[in-house]
Amino acid sequence: MVEEAKGEFEPKIIGFTCNWCTYASADLAGTSRKKYPPNTRIIRLMCSGRLDPMFVLRALLNGADGVFIGGCHPGECHYIKGNFYARRRIAAIRTILKELGMANRVRSEWISASEGDKFASVMKEMAAQIKEMGPNPLRGKVL
Amino acid sequence: MKGVELAIGDLNGVLKGLLEKEVVDCLIIPHSVGNNIAYMLVTDPDKIGGEGIFAPSFSVNAAGLVKGWTIKSKVGLVAKPCEIRAAIELVKLNQIDKESALLISVDCPGAFENQVYADHRDEIGEWIDSAKIEELKSKGVELREACKICSNRLADVGDIAVVRREGEKVVVAALTPMGESALNALGMELEDKDIERKDEKAKIADAAKKNEESLPKIGSIEALEEFLRDCIVCKNCRDVCPVCYCKECFFDQPLGNPVSGDMLNLGVIRGAIGLPTNQLFYHLTRVYHVSATCVGCGACADACPKEIPLTRFYPVITKKVQEMFEYVPGKDVEEPIPFTTYEEEELEDRLR
Repeated sequence: MVEEAKGEFEPKIIGFTCNWCTYASADLAGTSRKKYPPNTRIIRLMCSGRLDPMFVLRALLNGADGVFIGGCHPGECHYIKGNFYARRRIAAIRTILKELGMANRVRSEWISASEGDKFASVMKEMAAQIKEMGPNPLRGKVL
Repeated sequence: MKGVELAIGDLNGVLKGLLEKEVVDCLIIPHSVGNNIAYMLVTDPDKIGGEGIFAPSFSVNAAGLVKGWTIKSKVGLVAKPCEIRAAIELVKLNQIDKESALLISVDCPGAFENQVYADHRDEIGEWIDSAKIEELKSKGVELREACKICSNRLADVGDIAVVRREGEKVVVAALTPMGESALNALGMELEDKDIERKDEKAKIADAAKKNEESLPKIGSIEALEEFLRDCIVCKNCRDVCPVCYCKECFFDQPLGNPVSGDMLNLGVIRGAIGLPTNQLFYHLTRVYHVSATCVGCGACADACPKEIPLTRFYPVITKKVQEMFEYVPGKDVEEPIPFTTYEEEELEDRLR
C-alpha cells in the first residue's frame, strides 16, 4: 500500500481457495517463510465446488483487478468430485469473460496442501501478470 | 424415420385426431387472432382451425408457456424447432415431465416479430420462402435477428416432426417411440421417409454464420456497459426466457435487488452506484446461467422494452460455451446438461 501512495499500481486480487488443499498450501507457504507479494486477499471455501461463478463476476464488477481460484488436484478432491464440477464452471465463466477481454484476469490452479512453494510462485506470477495488465477497466466506474 | 406424406389441408385432421383419439389431453398450438398469431390451449377438436402453424411469426417461446407444468395430463405442444429445443432442455431441468408432453416440431422458415407480421400479414401469408424473404427485406420488412443467425430451423427435434415439402405437401414423421405410437393411434400407415435434409441444413448454417459475423460485436466489458446503458433491469428478458427457470431469482432477493438500507450500504462501499443498479451483474449472471441451455430463440430481444438487441449478446456468447462443451441444447433429451456432469481429464487449457 506504501507503493500505491507513490502512484504505482498495486493490483488487488481476490483469491478463492478450498479448505483442504490450496488454503493449506498458503498456510504452509507462510509457516515455511516463503515470500510472495501481499496482493491477494484470500476467501476460504470448503471446496472449489462451492465457487459460484457469480463470486468471480461480483469481484470483478466491484473493481478487483484479478480473481484467483485454488482447489485440490483433479481426482484428489476431499469431496471426491467437487473440483470436477468447479472446473466446468470456471471454464464456462472464463469463456464468457474471454469474449469481453477479461478472462486473463481470472486464473485457477490446483495446488495441494504440500505445495507451499507452488502457492508462493503462483502468487508471485499472478501479481506480476496483473500488474503488467494494469487496473481493472471497471475500477472506479459508477456501476 | 417413419412417417406419412399428406396434403397440407389434411394436417388439421391429424391434429384433431390427436385430441379425438385421446392421444393428448390438450394441444398448445398457434392460431390466428385477427391479423396476429398467438398460442391457444385446445381441448375441443372442433376448435382447431390450423391456420398459423407455419406462419412465420414469433410472439413468445411456447416452451416457456408450459415451464413448470409437472401435471400428469398429456400436453401436445406444436411449435417451432427453437421452442421444442427449449422444451427438451426444460425436461432435463425437471421443469417438464417428458412422459406427459408430446413435442411436435414444425419447419420454420425464420420468423418476423409478431407486430411486424401482423402489419404485413397480407404480403407474408401463412408460409414464406427464401425468395419472398429477400423481396420483403428490400422493402425493409426483415426477419428477427435471432432467426437470421439460427442454423437449426428445420424440424428434427421432439417426438414428431412436421416437414414442409414442395407443392403444398407435408411429411409428418415420428422421431421417438412416443411419437410413433401417437401416429399409430391415429391409424396412419407409416412408411420410411427421409427428412434428414443434410444439404439444406448446411446451406442454412452457412447463411446463419455469415449473418452472425455481420452483426456488430461486443468485444470488451466497456462495450458491454455501453450496450446495456439503457437497460432498466426490468427483467423481462428473464421472464420470457424459456430456460431461465429458478423459482426465486437471485435478482429478486436483497443481494441482487438491493433497496433502501441495503442500497445505501452498497453506496458506502463503492462511493457511488448507478441507478438502476446491477445492469452488468444481472446480464453477466444470466448469460452464465443460460450458457449451456440457451436455444437462441431471441425471445429476450423481443421482450426488451428498451429495444436493446439482446440477440447480439445472449446467443452469441452462449454459443462459445456450448461449442467448448460440444453441446447443442435441445438436440438429445438423453444428453446431460454439461454442468451436471464431468470428465476426469478435460478443459485444463481453459483455466488459466
